[in-house]
Amino acid sequence: MSASQFDSLRTKDAIVDLFDHFRDELDQQNDRRERLIKSSRDITNLSKKYIFLLHRIATEDTQDDLQLRAMRAVEQARPKLRDIQNIFASMKPELVGDLYWKHQKSISPGLQEYIEALSFSHYLEYGTLVSFADVQESMSDDDGPYFPLTISDYLLGLSDLTGELMRFAISAISRRGGRTKANEICTFVRRCKADFEGMCPRVRGLSKKQHVTNQSLQKIEDAAYTIAIRSSEYDLPDDILDDIVARCISGYDTRHQNYDRQPERWKDGEEDEDEYF
Amino acid sequence: MDLQDLEFINKALDADVELREKIKDEVSELDKKTRSMVGFLNKIHSTPLEQIPSLVDSVRPNLQDLRTTTAALHALIPLDQFWRWKDMWSNSMRNAVFCATLMEYLTSGTLMSMAGVSGALGIQDGWKDRFALPVEDYLHGLITLVNELSRLAVNAVTLGNYEEPIRISKFVKDLFAGFSMLNLKNDTLRRRYDSLKYDIKKIEEVVYDVSLRKLATAT
Repeated sequence: MSASQFDSLRTKDAIVDLFDHFRDELDQQNDRRERLIKSSRDITNLSKKYIFLLHRIATEDTQDDLQLRAMRAVEQARPKLRDIQNIFASMKPELVGDLYWKHQKSISPGLQEYIEALSFSHYLEYGTLVSFADVQESMSDDDGPYFPLTISDYLLGLSDLTGELMRFAISAISRRGGRTKANEICTFVRRCKADFEGMCPRVRGLSKKQHVTNQSLQKIEDAAYTIAIRSSEYDLPDDILDDIVARCISGYDTRHQNYDRQPERWKDGEEDEDEYF
Repeated sequence: MDLQDLEFINKALDADVELREKIKDEVSELDKKTRSMVGFLNKIHSTPLEQIPSLVDSVRPNLQDLRTTTAALHALIPLDQFWRWKDMWSNSMRNAVFCATLMEYLTSGTLMSMAGVSGALGIQDGWKDRFALPVEDYLHGLITLVNELSRLAVNAVTLGNYEEPIRISKFVKDLFAGFSMLNLKNDTLRRRYDSLKYDIKKIEEVVYDVSLRKLATAT
């Protein structure tokens, strides 16, 4: 059998004609890719703001109980979360069929940031880790998911949660009920770390994030240690201790030396969520 | 993470690992096959013109044989996940495109279209949500073809075939006109496209040499 039975292009015009089609196809692909990258960046941006908002409200300087404040934060910030989910909805037509996997790398940075934001709010509200099904559910309408969620994005997004919890634990520690909260978070982050450990070899990029989780965990543990050692010097009821502690560690809030996640990210001028594998 | 979730995730990850292994096996098969074809086709540089057709014919069964591997890959890839896995075999596919188009050029002196290459590799239209030949890979294969033809222009002359460079020059210029139509983004395809001009220059020099000495009759 001869290969010549298949279409061959004998003239220059035929070749140019073929490449004309290629140009249209490639242009279409590139434009779509650009649009998706832009959406992904918007999502990253909004998710960061959402996380900051949660931190702000949850650690407001009021006399309320921490859990009450956390619930208020989640409630007040809910419209912002909706905004992000609307962007996902708008991406749906660009990601149908095999398009999702074609552009997965372009959208995964924003997606992971969103999962971090969602899991943080979920933790504030329920004190648990948001499940895979819940994340997928949050990006769905009556017709089903906007696009399939991958395990890898889910895990990598969750892995960033530990950093936020570290910030929360340390800012909250000086607030009323903060020491109990810090201990809760400490236990929670330890469990996350243990759960993720076994998945590292099978998820690209997870072991790097696991390293950051370790650092966060250590910071929470160090803070808990400081509290324990200080409180051992006094034999006082909890609320009085709270006041003393507030004075002791007020430095954690204002000096950002404990937030080394940020300098690390900015060092090479690139945000960690914007990596393209 | 509760136990149920943990189990669900572990199962899914295991399934991915298993699938990756299976695909890897097929890809290494594909790689072996295309490499040996490239090896055979390398003989064109030392084969006199009249023996080229029989050389090409002797490689045809190998091209035919690639169909079993493309079919096997098609059977493995889950629905809509072509782009998830395709990086694993892109290089082999580009080599396959190169071989198919080179054979076509040597046979008829024309460019095999993308549909033609897909057909030769046994890739069916109905497979497209699992396995297809993407434009990029076809274009990469064509650039390899031009690289090879610039070598052939030189070696054909050494073997006394003075018309070949002129044929090649015409073919490559038409192809280059096609490439110039594209808006390429900054990626490897763009860099390889940029290098095409050196191949064209080399071919031009050979054409110049043979015409100057009136070795070739065509203009």
